Amino acid sequence: MARFLFIRLLQTLPVLWAVATLTFFMVRYAPGGPFTAEKSIPPEILKRLEAHYGLDQPLGVQYLRFLKNLVTGREPSIRHANRTVGEIIRESFPVSLELGSWALLIALGIGLPAGMLAAQKPNTLQDYVPMSAAMVGVGLPTFVLGPLVVLLFALKFGWFNTSGWNAPSDRVLPAFTLGCHLAAYVARLTRGGMLEVMGQDFIRTARAKGASGWRILTRHAWRGGLLPVVTFLGPAAAGLITGSFVIETVFNIPGLGKYFVGSVFDRDIPVVGGTVFFFAALILFFNLLVDIAQAWLNPKVRLE
Amino acid sequence: MKPIFLVATVGLGLALAGCKKSDSPAGSGSAQSAKKGDVKDAPSRIDGKMVLLRGNGAEPSDLDPQLVTGVPEHMILMGLFECLTGQDPKDLHPVPAAAERWEVSADQLTYTFYIRKNAQWSNGDAVTAHDFHRSYRRILEPTLAAQYAYMHHVVKGAQDYNEGKLKDFAQVGYKVVDDHTFQITLVGPTPYFLSLVNHTSWMPVHLPTVEKHGKAYERGSKWTRPENFVCNGPFTLAKWEVNQFISIVRNPKHWNAAAVKLDEIRFLPITDQATEERMFRDGKLHVTDTVPPTKIEVYQKNSPAYIRIDPYLANYFYRINVTKPPLNDKRVRQALALAIDREGIVKFVTKAGQIPAFNMTPPGTAGYTFRSSGSAGVAEAKKLLAAAGYPDGKGFPSVEILYNTQDTHRSVAEAIQQMWKQNLGIEVKLLNQEWKVYLDSQRQLNYQICRAGWTGDYVDPNTFLDMWLTGGGQNETGWGNKEYDRLITEAGRTADAAARLELFQKAEAILMDEMPILPIYFYTRSHLISPKVKGWHPTLLDLHPYEHLSLE
Amino acid sequence: MSLLEVQNLRAYFHTRNGIVRAVDGVSFSVEKGETLGIVGESGSGKSVTCYSLMGLIPKPPGRIESGTARFDGADLLVMSEVELNQIRGKRIAMIFQDPMTSLNPYLRIEDQLIEPLLIHEKMPREEAVKRAIRALEEVGVPDAARRIRSYPHEFSGGMRQRVMIAMALITQPDLLIADEPTTALDVTVQAQILDLIARLQRERGMAVIWISHDLGVVAGFCRRVLVMYAGRVVESGRVEDIFARPLHPYNRALQRSIPALQGKGAELYTIPGLPPDVSKPLPACAFADRCEFAQSECRTGEVALKEIELGHASACMRVQRGELNL
Ligand SMILES: Nc1ncnc2c1ncn2[C@@H]1O[C@H](COP(=O)(O)OP(=O)(O)O)[C@@H](O)[C@H]1O
Ligand SMILES: [Mg+2]
Repeated sequence: MARFLFIRLLQTLPVLWAVATLTFFMVRYAPGGPFTAEKSIPPEILKRLEAHYGLDQPLGVQYLRFLKNLVTGREPSIRHANRTVGEIIRESFPVSLELGSWALLIALGIGLPAGMLAAQKPNTLQDYVPMSAAMVGVGLPTFVLGPLVVLLFALKFGWFNTSGWNAPSDRVLPAFTLGCHLAAYVARLTRGGMLEVMGQDFIRTARAKGASGWRILTRHAWRGGLLPVVTFLGPAAAGLITGSFVIETVFNIPGLGKYFVGSVFDRDIPVVGGTVFFFAALILFFNLLVDIAQAWLNPKVRLE
Repeated sequence: MKPIFLVATVGLGLALAGCKKSDSPAGSGSAQSAKKGDVKDAPSRIDGKMVLLRGNGAEPSDLDPQLVTGVPEHMILMGLFECLTGQDPKDLHPVPAAAERWEVSADQLTYTFYIRKNAQWSNGDAVTAHDFHRSYRRILEPTLAAQYAYMHHVVKGAQDYNEGKLKDFAQVGYKVVDDHTFQITLVGPTPYFLSLVNHTSWMPVHLPTVEKHGKAYERGSKWTRPENFVCNGPFTLAKWEVNQFISIVRNPKHWNAAAVKLDEIRFLPITDQATEERMFRDGKLHVTDTVPPTKIEVYQKNSPAYIRIDPYLANYFYRINVTKPPLNDKRVRQALALAIDREGIVKFVTKAGQIPAFNMTPPGTAGYTFRSSGSAGVAEAKKLLAAAGYPDGKGFPSVEILYNTQDTHRSVAEAIQQMWKQNLGIEVKLLNQEWKVYLDSQRQLNYQICRAGWTGDYVDPNTFLDMWLTGGGQNETGWGNKEYDRLITEAGRTADAAARLELFQKAEAILMDEMPILPIYFYTRSHLISPKVKGWHPTLLDLHPYEHLSLE
Repeated sequence: MSLLEVQNLRAYFHTRNGIVRAVDGVSFSVEKGETLGIVGESGSGKSVTCYSLMGLIPKPPGRIESGTARFDGADLLVMSEVELNQIRGKRIAMIFQDPMTSLNPYLRIEDQLIEPLLIHEKMPREEAVKRAIRALEEVGVPDAARRIRSYPHEFSGGMRQRVMIAMALITQPDLLIADEPTTALDVTVQAQILDLIARLQRERGMAVIWISHDLGVVAGFCRRVLVMYAGRVVESGRVEDIFARPLHPYNRALQRSIPALQGKGAELYTIPGLPPDVSKPLPACAFADRCEFAQSECRTGEVALKEIELGHASACMRVQRGELNL
């Protein structure tokens, strides 16, 4: 197992490098720079500004420095003066991590049972009701659902604040919005996975042995049925805990998601690099977790 | 010339650590329901304190007044720092601030400021002429690369020093006469100078503090963090929760602290207009930064007491790249300008009380209103286009309007596209680009017609007109005119106010004849604002000195 | 009283493409300790017949349209899941055709083997494991104590089928239904499995329903045989009679297609035409379209299984009328 993990980690290095490199050159070659503003800066000032941030050096030198700073996180942001990329991630990631975790919990809490329920009696009301809800959930983007729940639960009923990240209750609406959307996917994947498994020959074998419906679900079906969900959850969880730009904007939450989009618009190269690199590393890490989970669920994978 | 203010005050020593309990920027005070509409009023007291809650757009990039460039930063810094002059809350005319009085020499080239003896920094140090001298040196230091250093270029030697051509700062027109007397010598008569000096770039900074947390003349000092912050304004920085709120509280050390009514102001960075509007409706804000265009009518109808729409010193126009046919023909540009129905645009597209613009400078800017020669109609436009070789738009080459991706800009462009098609029979295409790509295209003259906006830096026609000098950094149209340049330069040397405005009239007449730009409308600024907020007057720059605000 | 008495069983699938009459009026009985063979081409309804008895056909789309299946006097077809679960895996066990997919790939052999004991005999785990190891040894899995900890994919097909057999027999059932247990295996393994089941049956005296599409396999093993075609029984009788005196053209055709029964060098016979599509309307005698003896009334008349000689019945009306001597 240790060897397996080590090899997997080694394999991620070139991916991370490729992501970082691509990011650097894409932002560097995008028209406009960090100091492009409506009121254009006098050329002498611009030159010195670029010199201050090392943007006047040859691209190769900049690139190497960019790579180095990805590791150290010490490079200061251009847009957010006085704060390094490391600080930005340290400050905002815990918020996104918390929000994402709640959302994930909600997504699983709703999605798994709904999908299981639907798979128990396919093509009946017990299937149609949760699955239609899931269709709506998938189709309803968070920038629609978010304001909707705010209008209803914050403005109409007055149960929550419209936005912010202070009181514990401020977690409810954004986590729900984010989680609902994901719950829909989880439900559909669970249903699909469970149906697929329930149609397998070995389930028939279990029934022929006199196993009850509950026993079949809890002993025979869930591992195989959850494999698609687990595979999906890796990248999804990484995306979730690194923040959602839309949710953070709608609910005014000081998370990491804002920086992903904001830094690109601002051409804030250090932050673009840092956040993208961080995200990529998290995705790889979660994919590793997925691999481990899959190996745990599926003995065949374990051997290979 | 100006009444001398001598208000000796002692800080009340009131328990100002205003945020000992509630961390919530919106506080926990109970909110009452409004009578009209479904707007809840934000509480006027939080834990017994008068706290103004204000939506403030984007997260500030920094709170170093010499480095920032944005409006959100300006809004906060206004409370934290005090310039030599301040602003009248009603019309922003210069009033005594750090300087209790000043004198202007007869040739209007030398200003002598008398700094009040009781002016203090928030750490107790006295505010002296040396502070201003060192601060202004800092912003002009080439190594600092301050974007707004050019605001000092009216001062003798300042531009040369800033550009590194002059090495000896003693030759720049700043002079410490004594601890409390500071003299500034200008390049030419600058009637708006007293307004200019209350811009953020003229705010003093506490250099010992700057140096303690970094280098004085370089970026990267950490002095603007709340625990390090030293300022001289009516408020001090209490908290800076990134992407949550910035809280500034009354500065007991300020010479005028007794007159300051607000205990605290919290600036909430909210980038989404709809989110901000919902927060306002929920009683979490007293003042918003903006109003979603779709909500303007709703508020005007249901809760008119909660919305303010005031003229703003800014305009919305199209730049024309005059270097390429067919737009290098002035008759074509004139025809395009004449064929825009500006009334229709402000009435049906932008809908926030904007004023149709037929020239560059907003009317009434420091006593200047452009004398229009009277506007001809669509018939004239058709004639001009025919004269240029395109009768009824026949043979008119394909032309493109570039704008940055945003709904309002698209709607305006679509309306104009339609008007030109209808009135002139020409087809134009629309192209939208992401903000920085668009700025880049504009700068590179990589466009034909391009949406633009300009906000005055100070209340004077000069800020709208000197940008069109040949080869000017903000020109970006490829247009230039010798006579225009001469008139603007001469205006900069003219001390007589009336004669100076007359020069601007002539210059702008040339601009509007040559039409390198198509003015469309003058902006307004709209806010949702609780009727509890007192002392908030409409001002052209949308600035509202906080010393004069209070909550009912 | 027979151990199992099936009367007029009809199981249809209501699919989007019409009603599939998979089993359409099948009757038979199985005595205690007896071995009954069911033969017929693939698709003739053999599996569905057995699944119906075990309550294993997927509902929907499947539905039991009529019939009774009395097992020890109680009708399996009307039992609730809970009642059925006391019989399935305890008194009636089943082995399936494909050993590669019939075992749960996610669970150790051990957990799957002991499951019937845990469910039906409420046996403590350690004891169940001991029983399971013995059961594995009995079916000829070497090194059973160690290999019981393996996962199915670590076993070959034949070994997996042995595991299936051990699992089915671990509760000492009264009836074993073996649905083509050797079809998916290669020939030498087939013979071993066949011998294994035959031996265990002799030892335990249980009844077996042996399903196969291969008359040859059934011949050596069963006492009585049902020949199925298109969801119906077309001929039934003692195995010697079925071979010696076929009473249905389909049975005769089946026998001609067994390689071992043909003379050396003779070209192997294949039944002309395609197996019938039971979701389409069929002639009265479903075999009529492929039958060399078919007459027009074969397609329109009444077809029913009738005893022609003692214990030997046929559904061919021409045979019944004595017109054919096959
Ligand atoms: N789940 C199902 N849905 C629809 N048709 C089915 C289903 N299972 C079996 N059938 C049909 O029932 C008929 C009998 O199948 P089966 O009993 O499996 O044949 P075999 O004799 O080969 O075991 C076939 O035509 C088959 O297509
Ligand atoms: Mg079958």
